[in-house]
Amino acid sequence: MKVRVDPQICQGHTLCAMIAPDLFALRDEDGHSYAISEDVPAGKEDLAKEAARSCPEQAIQLF
Amino acid sequence: MSTEEAHVPDAERKKDTISLDRHSPRYRIEFEQLADEFHAKCPVAWNETHGGYWFASGNKELFDVARRADVLSNDNDISGTKRGYVGISIPHVPDPERRTRGGFLEMDPPEQRYYRQALNPYLSPAAVARWKPVVEELTRACLDEVIETGRIDFVDDLANVVPAVLTLAMLGMPLKHWEIYCEPTHASVYTPPDSPDYPRVQQLSLQMGMHMMQTIHEIRANPRPGLINELVTVEINGYRPDDTEILGVVMLLIGGGFDTTTALTAHSLEWLSEHPDQRERLSRERETLLDSATEEFLRFYTPAVGDGRTISQDCEINGTRFKEGERLWLSWAMANRDEKVFPDPHTIHLDRTGNRHSSFGLGIHRCIGSNVARAIFKIMLTAVLDRMPDYVCTPGGAVHYDTTGVINGMKNLPATFTPGRRLGAGLAETIDRMQRICDEQRLAEAVTVRAARAELD
Repeated sequence: MKVRVDPQICQGHTLCAMIAPDLFALRDEDGHSYAISEDVPAGKEDLAKEAARSCPEQAIQLF
Repeated sequence: MSTEEAHVPDAERKKDTISLDRHSPRYRIEFEQLADEFHAKCPVAWNETHGGYWFASGNKELFDVARRADVLSNDNDISGTKRGYVGISIPHVPDPERRTRGGFLEMDPPEQRYYRQALNPYLSPAAVARWKPVVEELTRACLDEVIETGRIDFVDDLANVVPAVLTLAMLGMPLKHWEIYCEPTHASVYTPPDSPDYPRVQQLSLQMGMHMMQTIHEIRANPRPGLINELVTVEINGYRPDDTEILGVVMLLIGGGFDTTTALTAHSLEWLSEHPDQRERLSRERETLLDSATEEFLRFYTPAVGDGRTISQDCEINGTRFKEGERLWLSWAMANRDEKVFPDPHTIHLDRTGNRHSSFGLGIHRCIGSNVARAIFKIMLTAVLDRMPDYVCTPGGAVHYDTTGVINGMKNLPATFTPGRRLGAGLAETIDRMQRICDEQRLAEAVTVRAARAELD
């Protein structure tokens, strides 16, 4: 599974990093999110899905 | 769009019509029934009250329209040089003396984007994390003021104080001035123009505005780190904002920072008093439950219930044909109760998953202080759970705002608890000490300038 945060859509709600801090990090200057690695580590797929489902802007793509 | 479609009569466009005065007690009292009814019948409706405006309550419908900055405007055209739009309040109250707009919340890009880029480094999660020791200490002092008495008003003694003091600290203002800002900021939200108290609140608000103007002048003359200093030095799309525009921005930060966090905290504490088993569980399992519980309280109580917009060009979204110049209300509060997205929407589930609530808004105007709100809320809540674990809100003592057209807030929330021991100095002394720490460590700098966390001595 791969994960990406669309920087055009993310508005910095920070729920993804709250739910899956191993998968998402927030930029210091504005709190907008990025995936730490495009590849979701084995065993973290459910967390990635929950983060995507919880994003208020629906900015997280799983593929 | 064909010519024929462009001339759809209003009766057809507005066939789903409601008549709801959001500023009436009915909206507050029948909120859940109204939300269910609108979601089932008319997730986007034409509301005949207050001059007529679109009312988006369905989660999908709101999601699809709220993020369309290409067809929506937040602009409040106070100079009358643009399109005459009137900002984000519905109803709009024309006031000849009102010369400021609501900061960048009543602006569109590109100006709005410049402001956010300038202020985000003071309000991002990394920026806010630096303040946590200060918030903990202020919270400790608030609770120490009452801990030996066994009585507290969670609004007056805690939830009004900590957000106010911290907001002033982040602005770069003297912390001890928080009381000048506290009462008028809350009271101007819940005091309607026909209230006998209105002239007094207006007077307090006027004094607050004058005090802030003076503060802006002082910081311009003698720079000190913080949001205000950023505003007096920043360049916005090629211009430097004047003091009146800066005042509007600062009052937006204060209005946004005070009343909403107070509202969230008071409602959550009231609910936990009514559900002692859930309170005990939250306290015990806070490592895993505090984040989801916070988001659930945010969803359920939606402190800022909605925002107005103006349609900036004719468009059709999900079958609704909007016309340029029409007004639109984005009901974050109702969208947060849509069962299509939130199963069992009118019940608080502290461990709710998939909680993509819109309590901080959606799109480019997402609440810029959301990280501050969450941090303060969590610190105040856990401190109460630790130091007053058996508190009981006084039956009939809670005073909710009469109407919740703007903020779903509370004026008072008295409670009793088993008295405990003080841990340190009182509030006034603690505020003086925090002031010294702010000054010495330049805590109010942007995180891009100073990344270190506050150190208490």
